[in-house]
Amino acid sequence: MASPLINLMRLIQFTDSTFPVGTFSFSNGLESAAYENLVTDAKSLEQYTRAASLQAAYSDGIAALNAYKAVNAGDYDTVTLTDRRLMLFKMNDEARLMLRRMGKKLAELAVRFYPDNEICRRFLKDIETDATPGSFPVAQGVIFAVAGLSPEELFSSHQYGVINMILAAALRCVRVSHLDTQEILLRLTDEAEKLYPEVSEMEFEDMNAFVPEMDIMASLHEKGKMRMFMN
Amino acid sequence: MATTTPDRIYSDAPRVDFAHCREMQPYLTEPKAMYVGAPGKHGYLRLGFELDKEGKSILRDLDRRAPLIVQQELYFDEELPGLPCVYILSSGGPNVDGDRYHQDITVKKGAMAWVSTGAATKLAKMKYNYSGMIQNIVLEADAYLEFMPEPIIPHAGTRFICDTRMIVDPTATVFYSEIYMGGRKYYNGGELFKFDILSVCTHGERPDGEQLFREKFIISPDKFPIRDIGVMGDFDIFANVLVMTPPDKAEEIYNATQPVFDRKNRIAAGITHLPNGAGLLYKVLGDETGPVKAQVRKFCSTVRQAIKGKPVPAEFPWR
Repeated sequence: MASPLINLMRLIQFTDSTFPVGTFSFSNGLESAAYENLVTDAKSLEQYTRAASLQAAYSDGIAALNAYKAVNAGDYDTVTLTDRRLMLFKMNDEARLMLRRMGKKLAELAVRFYPDNEICRRFLKDIETDATPGSFPVAQGVIFAVAGLSPEELFSSHQYGVINMILAAALRCVRVSHLDTQEILLRLTDEAEKLYPEVSEMEFEDMNAFVPEMDIMASLHEKGKMRMFMN
Repeated sequence: MATTTPDRIYSDAPRVDFAHCREMQPYLTEPKAMYVGAPGKHGYLRLGFELDKEGKSILRDLDRRAPLIVQQELYFDEELPGLPCVYILSSGGPNVDGDRYHQDITVKKGAMAWVSTGAATKLAKMKYNYSGMIQNIVLEADAYLEFMPEPIIPHAGTRFICDTRMIVDPTATVFYSEIYMGGRKYYNGGELFKFDILSVCTHGERPDGEQLFREKFIISPDKFPIRDIGVMGDFDIFANVLVMTPPDKAEEIYNATQPVFDRKNRIAAGITHLPNGAGLLYKVLGDETGPVKAQVRKFCSTVRQAIKGKPVPAEFPWR
């Protein structure tokens, strides 16, 4: 077992926005929402980000925690099953692209960090041979389990990452200040904490998402010409 | 034949039970009025469309249990005169506490069909239990189905769960739409998003069992803010359309469909690809049923044009 201090260091590193998995390239449709004047200020940005945070908790969050548990149980087949099932649930082209690109980058990092770990190596190999999609939440579950971090730390990192990704994008396309986004981050991470007890008990059948307005924004982005962000 | 226990008679329709679903756990008390599974509150419908000897699509197989009613197919589509059209009716009025429904629709090789409901499906207030529906939709090679029911209207305090399984041959096309209103918009000063829960799962697979996609949404307005931007925002009606179709047809439909976010006319719609080359997903938001239905119908027309080379005719004025 690593010391609590090392665990904290790892948690900060894996969650940091400069961690090279490409979070900066995506906005979850925020670019279109800003263009359509749907998200115009701190209040509307907070609502949009909350919607993204909730849908991520009840889909990607469940997948990340299930993959984490499977790694700790030595059940690699459930890791790839969770990966495939998450992709069945992803109803948006750009979301699938985002999760796969970020997942592959994280899996590559995991092999660099833990070159002797069989699960990390096998997961990357399966991604490279298209044997598994290699989604980001599942890769997160793998690396957090291998690093000996807790499921609470995994969920915190996951939710923080989703919220922060949108807020960071907002600084580039919505009229909000760094102070606004930090306040929103504080409130939404408080709310995310309350989701954990339920999400941690959930399985594939429980995954759900209801963000139709966000889906329509993603579609406008997918078919549109604006391209500051990949999503 | 109905089965009998010493004090209760049960419908012989296939069992519909969502007690295993986490989100329904608060709603599993037996209703004080008529029990779950009683004849008359456990509807069943089996529709089987196929080609007859002359190559005409007909409703060959029909079985039903009250309160669901289907009489016979009609051929009223002026653009596709050979399209058998069926209205599903319910003699029971709105769905009430403890109602169960099971619908199986099969379209055999090369056949086509159109299925709708006679009127909006009202979901009444429930106190103890929930209303649940299971649907199995099977399309064989080159089959074509347009499933376009009237909207669902959830009253305050209602609970509804639906599981739809679509088993579709890679050469077939199914257009499957659902329209959910936020509630009785003009009743008693407005009754929007006052229901307890709507849980809707639609999943697609190939005949060999290959899983293609699984969409599930749970709307529980008391639990999460439905009016947030990104969720419903200030829209009141939501339509969800799944089109399973071969990839070349999906591309044609995708290219012919533009997403829209029209604040002035209060309509928004977006399209994307389903996972695993299964087809397309189309979502519509609006304020009134008319424009949302028109948007869904327009999209259906694009689909029909790509598959059958014909548009969908104008809607009847009384619909």
